[in-house]
Amino acid sequence: MTVMVAVPDSEEGLRALEAGIAEAQDRGTGLVVVNLTLGELDRSMLPEDLSVEVVERHGRADRDPAATVLHALDAHPDVDRLVIGVARRSAVGKLVLGSISQQLILQANVPVLCVKLPSSR
Amino acid sequence: MSHGAPSSGIALPPLRPGPHTRRLDTIALVATFGGLLFGYDTGVINGALEPMKQDLGLTAYTEGLVTATLLIGAAIGALGCGKLNDTLGRKKTLTLLAVIFFVGTAGAVFAPNLAVMLPSRFILGFAVGGASVTVPVYLAELAPTERRGALSGRNELAIVVGQMLAFIINALIAMLWGHHEGVWRYMLAVCAIPAVFLFIGMLKMPESPRWLISKGRHGDALDVLMQVRSEDRARAEMAEVEQLAEEEAEAQTGGWSDLAIGWVRHIMIAAIVLAMAQQLTGINSVMYYGSQLLVVAGFEQSAALIANIVPGVIAVIGSAICLFVLIDRVPRRTLIIGGLIATTTCHGLIVLASMLIPDGIVKAYAILFFVVAFVFCMQLALNVPVWVCLSELFPLRMRGFGMGLSVLVLWVTNAIVAFSFPILVEITGITGSFLVFFVAGLLFVFLLWKLLPNTSGRSLEELEEAFAQGDFH
Repeated sequence: MTVMVAVPDSEEGLRALEAGIAEAQDRGTGLVVVNLTLGELDRSMLPEDLSVEVVERHGRADRDPAATVLHALDAHPDVDRLVIGVARRSAVGKLVLGSISQQLILQANVPVLCVKLPSSR
Repeated sequence: MSHGAPSSGIALPPLRPGPHTRRLDTIALVATFGGLLFGYDTGVINGALEPMKQDLGLTAYTEGLVTATLLIGAAIGALGCGKLNDTLGRKKTLTLLAVIFFVGTAGAVFAPNLAVMLPSRFILGFAVGGASVTVPVYLAELAPTERRGALSGRNELAIVVGQMLAFIINALIAMLWGHHEGVWRYMLAVCAIPAVFLFIGMLKMPESPRWLISKGRHGDALDVLMQVRSEDRARAEMAEVEQLAEEEAEAQTGGWSDLAIGWVRHIMIAAIVLAMAQQLTGINSVMYYGSQLLVVAGFEQSAALIANIVPGVIAVIGSAICLFVLIDRVPRRTLIIGGLIATTTCHGLIVLASMLIPDGIVKAYAILFFVVAFVFCMQLALNVPVWVCLSELFPLRMRGFGMGLSVLVLWVTNAIVAFSFPILVEITGITGSFLVFFVAGLLFVFLLWKLLPNTSGRSLEELEEAFAQGDFH
């Protein structure tokens, strides 16, 4: 049993990482972090006693972040919970960029824990 | 036309002269024919259009179309050849492009009417755009790290030299055979010469070692490196090449969805604004329609073709000064914004000269002078620096997508300006058309001032960190 968390470069990404760490600690399992940012993951947030594996995005096959997470799920059959951060998007934003959260909620084969920003309207 | 080849941390034995250096020089020379072709083919229309206009019965609208179809083809060629480069290899792609160049040239030379001319120009454009993405990649992949910058610079220089040669040869042809019917066909036919050189040359050139490694052909890659490096260096570079191939794959990671991130969107917008700013200076209107512009300014047709050589020569001088003196000494942001202020000032002066000086030879020379000043400022500060800046703006994982989208915007803007310019000149004359460039210049100086971060003097990693924290200065 392992928890997987998807971490994009945003406020909700940080919230998701926090929630993922808490979830893994609660359940006494390891954590797989899927780094969806364009840079290095900030590892300072990760507790030292937690067993963490980081999955990076690499190359054209990972251009769609949702596909990266779904592939990572396939590659880690022991994962039984996916943690993601969700935020309100404008209609235009959804049209242009699509909703990664929606794809993951609908297509992931494990239960998905969605974390919202605290001050959402 | 790309720069900023990534540098690796692998320690290499120093470059030593030997028989391999000559081989490398030959490769650079042959591949530079790609740049020369690019310049010649875009520049040759300047001078050929006027006689073609009478011969094929072109209007301002179809004239714009003849120029712009090449650019649309180039945009598609630039996009499509990235893929071709990866599947066929750089050598086969360049050889194929030389053949396409030849076919397109033949079509344009013998075109009896627009129905043949426009598709031929499109095919030619495809080859032009393809060469513009393949040649710099090929050069950068064969050149040793220490010489990579100089070699990509050489390609930029080859482009303006190609345009200058086109202006000079067009003027010569007009002087010798100007009375022949369809003299423009002679002008276009000359384009076949560099294409033939490129073709024959490429048959003898080696494939890029980086491409060979990406296909798992390590033995072949080492063979190529042994030809162009001393033996110890060749072996050491195999590791570097593998790392660079890895980085190249990494550069393709980001895409549309990453534009959801604020700072990534900011640099994407800055890059697009930069690409549009460069083309909306109207540099290519002068490069494509210069001789006709000078006729409108008051020169005789034959004198205009000769006067048109001056901007061509100045473009080469400006580019050379930029490459050898300015690019590493002046901060990128200062150079680009300063350059845009200078070109916008030139546009203002062209408008004033066109409005206030009475028609005649004084007006013609005044406009020629300001056009030349404009071309000089442009090549000095807005050609190579814009390309370098574009390649430095994006974080590694976003570079493939970011550069691709900005270069596409650049070509499309170029095509729109090239198409509209003759129509604009017909309706509003020089005053109105350069007033448009002047106003666009003011707008883009403001936008770049607000949006453009300075990319020089910091490592790409430092830049990425600053941008991610919302610091764009």
